Formats: sequence, structure tokens, C-alpha cells
Amino acid sequence: MSAVAGVLRASWVTLSTSSRHSSVQRGGLFVKALFYAMVFSIIASLWRAAAAANGGSVAGYSARQLMWYIAMSEAVTISMNSRLLADVGTDIVSGAVSVEMLRPRSVLAQRVLREIGRVQPGLLVCTLTGMAVSWIVVGPPISFSALALSFPSLVLAVTCNIAGHHLFASLAFWLRETGATWFIYQKFVFMLGGMLLPLEVLPSWLRQFALLTPFPSMAYIPARLGSGHVEPWLLVVQLGWLAALLAAAAIGFRAGERRLQVVGG
Amino acid sequence: MIEVGELSKIFSSGRGAKRQSIAAVRDISFSIDPGERVAFIGPNGAGKSTSIKILTGILHPTGGTASVLGYTPWTDRRKLAARIGTLFGQRSMLWSELTPLASYRMLAAIYDLSRDEERTRVGELAELLDANDLLNVPVRSLSLGQRMRCELAACMLHRPEILFLDEPTIGLDLLAKQRFRELLLRVNDEQGTTIFLTSHDVADIEHVARRAIVINHGSVIYDDEVASMRRSLLSEKVIEVALISSIPPVTLPGVSVIEHSDTAMKITVDTSITSVRAALDVLLDGPAVSDITVVDPPLESVIARIYELPRTPQ
Repeated sequence: MSAVAGVLRASWVTLSTSSRHSSVQRGGLFVKALFYAMVFSIIASLWRAAAAANGGSVAGYSARQLMWYIAMSEAVTISMNSRLLADVGTDIVSGAVSVEMLRPRSVLAQRVLREIGRVQPGLLVCTLTGMAVSWIVVGPPISFSALALSFPSLVLAVTCNIAGHHLFASLAFWLRETGATWFIYQKFVFMLGGMLLPLEVLPSWLRQFALLTPFPSMAYIPARLGSGHVEPWLLVVQLGWLAALLAAAAIGFRAGERRLQVVGG
Repeated sequence: MIEVGELSKIFSSGRGAKRQSIAAVRDISFSIDPGERVAFIGPNGAGKSTSIKILTGILHPTGGTASVLGYTPWTDRRKLAARIGTLFGQRSMLWSELTPLASYRMLAAIYDLSRDEERTRVGELAELLDANDLLNVPVRSLSLGQRMRCELAACMLHRPEILFLDEPTIGLDLLAKQRFRELLLRVNDEQGTTIFLTSHDVADIEHVARRAIVINHGSVIYDDEVASMRRSLLSEKVIEVALISSIPPVTLPGVSVIEHSDTAMKITVDTSITSVRAALDVLLDGPAVSDITVVDPPLESVIARIYELPRTPQ
């Protein structure tokens, strides 16, 4: 087996095994779907009320578009392990990560692939729940083409978020603590990522700033596509940020592992 | 197979005037041939785990050389990882949320085993470790003994040429330990796997290792066959005597009475001062003795004595 084929097979097996395991956790998926439906309903109701009070739209989004926006942004957020950054940081600080250094593959690649696989069933369940609720409450999607674009965008969004968690978690190799980093990261995803509100609602300067960061790729982009905007170039933006985040996380982990090797496991 | 030359590791912390350095490993040297079973032992903080971490590529040494299967561990970590197996008693190599079977599937792919090789190997190891019933139970639901059997299978899946085992029997009950040791002997015997073991359990050393390397204060202070440890390090024999009637205690130079009652006596003889023969002559001079046994002192005492050896000046 060639080296490339070996890497691809290892990646696929890691991803599919994690995904299969996660998909058989029926109870966990049910609770996740229930929690998602609850959060989604509350936030969507608030936005619909805001739109009604504002002449039927907010920052160019109609009440129907806002419902579909929140369906997508919350699906990405709730399907993720929100404490991933802290968990990875704890493994780094406790030295558990050193065990993974004893395998002939990249520690970061193994972890990212496992997490992507783990997230997929939850993402599917939350997205389907959100689509069903939105369809029943406000009607069908605004654009089926945009909706089709939002599906790969959702996968790219969780992958960007997982890469971001690992990038920030790699600071634990130096800081030996991730509580503050996790808190800041979460707030960035909430505010600059467009998780709770479309970026168009933000003041112009803040929106411009947010668009210069990777955070919109983690929630805003799939939500904007899901709310009926046929903007395929947004997928390219996500791919670009994904490559940048993975590269930066790889540099962080490589330097961190080297530091671990020098100062001790 | 393993060549270590003047290996050292100094951990430093702090900056400027507050900078502190601790030498965890000091110029250790040894070599290990294929198929050997070596116990790498020492008291807490002696440098055992640091040495293992260097030899498996997790840590960079401060000085010296090491070659494991022809690789320099800290520069060829991933290549080396494909050919060695490691088991840390205090850290799991398996994924707690997965079953051992799912973990083996992922590990087999990571180690480039084909599906056929994976099935064959999992079947062989499950048979060897009597773990067939455990394969579909989530790792987090296994008892410690069951998990350790599955961990051993995981680290042997890719047919490693060397097994690095760091406290592999810690926390196991007596039966599980015994079974684990038998497994290691079988693996060594049937597959020729080299075993490099650290443990605080003397029975692990006694039953598994043929050779012991003792490290203390970061330096190798003993390197020889386990069987000859007692002979070369303790000039002491224990004589246990069963008595029909009471006899007075033996009063010879170099002889100490450990236990003495009307029906039994236990003495130690420092053979550099008095021979065992001389002590036996005194004991057997009369009709009071019904049975007599001469034994080596327990290995635990020997190792404790080694640990007490003075630190070699560096």
C-alpha cells in the first residue's frame, strides 16, 4: 500500500469508526435534537418578534429567512462539543497526548478526524430537525439551490470550528491552562461567527472586522446560504479558512510536541 | 536492537537567577539484544519513565546517543512507532468510548494493516489473551484487568519487535498479574518479541525478566541476570529450621537470629564471615532439628539493597 493510500485509508477508518460509534448513541442524539429544538425555537421566536416589530425584516433578512438562518447556525453550534478546546487542552497538560505521539500518524490529524466523525450524526439530526421545524412554521426554504449549498457548508463549518478549537488548544503546550482561552474562543464564535445574529446586524466596522477572521466560516456562512442567499463563493472562503486553520494548528501542535519533547511529557 | 550511549536528560525550569535544573537521566549506557526480556527498575524518581520516553521518541535527550531498531527515537519517532509497541499502565492506549474491536480497527488502519491482516491478528490476539468476550464491550465498561488484556492486544496488533511496558501490572489483582506475566512470556517465546519492562512489583521482575538494569539517581547502578542478582549482591543466606525441642540460639560471627521459638528458628548467615556449612554444623549437632531449609533472601531485599548503594560521583 502506498504511503498516500495508507494515510487516506487511516483517515477514512478513523472518521467512519467515530461517526458510526456516535450514530449508535441514540439516547444522546435524541437529547441533542431536543435541546437543539428548544434553543432554536426560543432564538427563532425572538428574531421573528424583532422582525415583526421592525416592519417584517431585520438587516435585510425577512422573518422566514431569519428562521432558516438560525436553523443552520444553531445546528452547527449544538452538534459540536463546545468544550472541545478545554478537553484537548486538558489532554495536553495532563500528558495524555504523549500516548498519541507513540503512533505512526500525526496527533493533530488523528484528533481532528475523530472529532469530525463524532460530530456528523449530531449535525445531521440537528439540521433535519431545524429544517422540519422551519418548514412547518414559516414554509419551505427560500431557495433550494442555496439550501443545497448550505449542506457542504455545514460540514466545512464544523470542520473549521474543530480546527479552530485545536489551534487555540495548542496554546496549552505553553500556557499549561486553557480555561481563559476557551472562554475567549467561545465568545468570538458567538459574536464574530454570527451564531446568534446575522453579521449584517452588527455595526459596519465590527462586521468588517468579523469578516477578516475565520469565525464567520464556523456559523455565519452556512446560515447565510441556508437563509436563501445563493453565494457559492462563500464555500471557497470556508475552504481557504479551513486550510489556514489546519496549517496553523499543525504548526502549533508540531511546535508544542517539540516543546513537550524538550521540557518533558 | 537497542543501543544507548551516555544518554542524559536535564529538565530545566524558571529563568535567569531562578533557573533550576534537575538531571533525570545521567550518562546511562546499555545495549539490548533481540528477544531479551529486560526489567528496567529503580525507585520512584530514578529516571525510568524519562528513559522510556526518550527511547520511544516522546522526549529529546540533553546528551548522548540512542538507537532503537536502527532509528534515533527522537528524530524518527513515527517510523519507530510503526515497529514498537508501548503500554503505559497508568495511561490508556484505547479510546474509552469505543469498543476494543472498534479501537483495533482504527489502530490497524493507523499501522497500515490490511483488513485481512487485521482480522487475522485480532483473532490471534483475542485467542491468546482470552479476550473474545471483551471485544464488543465499551472500553470504559471493562474492569482494569480486562482492559489491560485489551491494551496488550492493542500494542501488539502490528507485531512490534519490541514491547516497552511501563508499570503494566499496576492496579491489577494477583490473578490478573499472574496471567499478564504468563502472556508476556508466551509473546516473547512464540514471537521473539523483545520485552523492556519497568515495574515496582518484584514478582514482575522475577517472573518475566531474565536481565535487570537498575537505575537510581539517573544512573545505571546494576546490569546483570536476574538470577545472579542475589548471588552477586548479597553474601547472605537464610536458614529455616524446624525443631523437635528447644535449642539455644546460634552464636557464630556473621549469624543473626531472625525468629526463634521452641519449634522453629530462622537465621541469616553472612557467608563472607561464616560459611553455611559452619552454621549447619552447629545446628545439626544434636537431635533437636527435624527439618532444615537453606534459601536465598527474597529478591525484594536484594533490590532494596541495590537501591541503597551509594550514588556514583558524576
